[in-house]
Amino acid sequence: MTKLKVGIYGITGCAGCQLSVIFNEDELLDLIEVVDLKAFPFIKEVNPDEQYDLIFLEGLVADKGDLEAAKKLRKNAKILVALGACAVTGCVPAYRNFTLKQNYEHLLYRKIRELQDVQPTPVDMHVRVDYYLPGCPPDKRQILAFIKGAVKGAIPRPTDNPVCVECRQNGNACLLEIGKPCLGPITAGGCNAVCVNGGLECWGCRGPTKDMNLPLMISLLKRKGFDEKFIQDRMRTFAGLKLPMLKEVLHGKNHHA
Amino acid sequence: MRLYRLEKKRFAEFIGRLMLDAEVIAPVKKDVVRFLPIAHPEEVHLEKNAFFPLKEYFFPQNQTLFQFDGKSFMAQVPKPKKRVFFGVRRCDLTAIRHQDIAFGEAGDPYYEAMRKSSLLIGYHCPKAPSPYCFCGSLPQIEYFDLMFFDQQTHFLIETGSGEGEKAVEEHAEVFVPAETPKPDTKIPGADRLHVGNIAPLYDHPDWKKGVDLCLSCGACTALCPTCYCFEIHDELSTADLSAGKRSRSWSSCQLPGFTRVAGDHVFRKEREHRFKHRIYHQLEYFKEKHGVPLCVGCGRCIEACPTRIDFVKLLNGMKA
Amino acid sequence: MNPYLPQRYQVLGFTRESPDTFTLTVNMRSKPAPGQFVQVSVPGVGEAPISICSDSRSHIKLNIREIGNVTKALSKKRKGDALWIRGPYGKGYPMKELEGKNLILIGGGCGVAPLKGVIDFIEHHRSRYRDIRLFLGYRSPDEILFKKELKEWRKKYQLEVTIDQNQHGAFCYDAKVGFVTEAIKKAPLDPHASVAFLCGPPVMMKASIDLLKQKGFGERQIFVSAERLMYCALGVCCHCMIRGKFTCVDGPVFRYDEIGAYAHD
Repeated sequence: MTKLKVGIYGITGCAGCQLSVIFNEDELLDLIEVVDLKAFPFIKEVNPDEQYDLIFLEGLVADKGDLEAAKKLRKNAKILVALGACAVTGCVPAYRNFTLKQNYEHLLYRKIRELQDVQPTPVDMHVRVDYYLPGCPPDKRQILAFIKGAVKGAIPRPTDNPVCVECRQNGNACLLEIGKPCLGPITAGGCNAVCVNGGLECWGCRGPTKDMNLPLMISLLKRKGFDEKFIQDRMRTFAGLKLPMLKEVLHGKNHHA
Repeated sequence: MRLYRLEKKRFAEFIGRLMLDAEVIAPVKKDVVRFLPIAHPEEVHLEKNAFFPLKEYFFPQNQTLFQFDGKSFMAQVPKPKKRVFFGVRRCDLTAIRHQDIAFGEAGDPYYEAMRKSSLLIGYHCPKAPSPYCFCGSLPQIEYFDLMFFDQQTHFLIETGSGEGEKAVEEHAEVFVPAETPKPDTKIPGADRLHVGNIAPLYDHPDWKKGVDLCLSCGACTALCPTCYCFEIHDELSTADLSAGKRSRSWSSCQLPGFTRVAGDHVFRKEREHRFKHRIYHQLEYFKEKHGVPLCVGCGRCIEACPTRIDFVKLLNGMKA
Repeated sequence: MNPYLPQRYQVLGFTRESPDTFTLTVNMRSKPAPGQFVQVSVPGVGEAPISICSDSRSHIKLNIREIGNVTKALSKKRKGDALWIRGPYGKGYPMKELEGKNLILIGGGCGVAPLKGVIDFIEHHRSRYRDIRLFLGYRSPDEILFKKELKEWRKKYQLEVTIDQNQHGAFCYDAKVGFVTEAIKKAPLDPHASVAFLCGPPVMMKASIDLLKQKGFGERQIFVSAERLMYCALGVCCHCMIRGKFTCVDGPVFRYDEIGAYAHD
């Protein structure tokens, strides 16, 4: 059997998602037996620009270089996988869409300021994405399961259960009960509720579930004492661009409870 | 059935004796009260019922059913050591009975193995431990090896099985036969549900009041001591892609994926249908098959619900 | 005996039926009732419930649509390959009770597969049943299943094949363009001493049942084969539940009054 040819690339991002692939330490050696890891610029010197079965792309499109790279990798890939929150939702860098330039301008390096930028946006706003591995960072076991599934011709269905499902199975007491603004009920799981396991509320890094009850989540947070500005900021931190209806729901009259 | 007496000052001694040859799992006060294996008799906490049910000890969240290697499937039936479950309330005992029925009907060897060599010691609630309790509105079924009744200075202990009798004999030093009549088994403050037959209510407009408050997060089903739905998935070994394991994990009827078939058709797509399905399975469907409702009235699904949907109040309101 | 344990069998043959469906013949000896199903495993991919579309004790035939991961993996199986199966499961069509009746079989798309099991059964016990009518609907000529068998069926039974559209005008087994419901509407169906078996997509089943009712069929004269997500097939995992009935043990064939309109939700 010919091995699947795999490339792992990054555009604007912190490289943490590419690291998540490597974090499968115990199985990494087995994995490179199973696939032909041909390109991985993060750790490899030679990365041929050619056709791949599978390309993982970390990061979001934030400048023209990113855009060109995304388009080229799309052309090179049979299956293009958005790897991690930046690629999937735009993550924290995309928050720039929701704030004025004067709020961040002074934070930029002088040289960067002269760069030609693009409004920071997730990969699927520019090219077609075949599969999403969300999360900041993505779950390393999910990356591994995806690769194995692709080799076997049985790509796993992406999780669309809320974080609460795994959280409750892990026997966590609910953080909303102690007044923390946990977004678990509207956020796609598959992360094994890792943040809540450690006592930190869910910030929604994996993006909203298709089935979310957003009006109810907002009214619940309000009842817990959080104001509209806080709720809006929190929900936009990781997935603002995937919640285009947020403003309307937040200020709408369609509130329950 | 026989009655015995155990002085409270000898309670720790009794638990200590149980611990000599078995793992003792009892309610322990942590961030919330949880059923945990105890290291000291003093850890037993009887003031409140455990926030999480006991079911994970018989029906774990994740359980390997088979290992496979490309040539054969090898069953991974567990062999737990002797376990004593102490301080189990009546609702949770009835819940174990109902799971015994559900898994027993399927001849499930994994559940059977986990239930084997477990001694169930109940604790009769002197009064409803939570404002959400409603076990008194549902049939109470005696299902224990021993039952502890709290009598201030001492416990009265009722035996409910041969295993229970044997346990008393083994620890005869701490028990005294009691000549008193069997205490009242009614639990004050636990009869909140006033609707017996919910079948005619399926199309009632008030369901919307509950559905509008539902996040479909699955907390209710995860914390339910009776919910026994599961799904089965395969996982491949990285070293050998023809090998791997098949395991099952808890599932929840509150999620859209619960009824999704190949081709992406979802049968219970509407939140309302999912919401009602749980209540109807609990109060109606199980009863049609097995004569008793699946629900045992512990109230955990209400207490654990982020928006506190009280389906008992909801149903009571529909009847009025 | 571990009821979750699949047994190893061998594929005796592979037949391509349509661009996305195929039939596997497997050396499984059993006495399946028409309408029953088996759980087929591909280790590492998972299990899928597949209805049996044959009537034989020496082997089973499985007509499979490539739609999920398991069925896609099964499409690569060829003669001699190993296959893991447990079953058969469920209640099939009550063929014994219905002896002496006229049978009307209405199938849509891959829903024709379980009905093929019924037809095979009828062939083996033809004298026990009176008139047999088949209404089989497909989306396009390409999707017509059991093309070889169709010729035989046309000789023996009153057969109507419909296709929703026929874009390239291919020869299509005398199929009429239109929905299967139109064929049912036109047919002179006498509800007296007749029963109808249905299997197909929810929309087609609902429309057909409405028509049958208009023609005077009672709910007790209609049998439907339901499709649901299943894991255990033992009546415990609960995914296949339709208002308290388990599709895997109480079904997959239900008399319509047992589940009524809920068959569609």
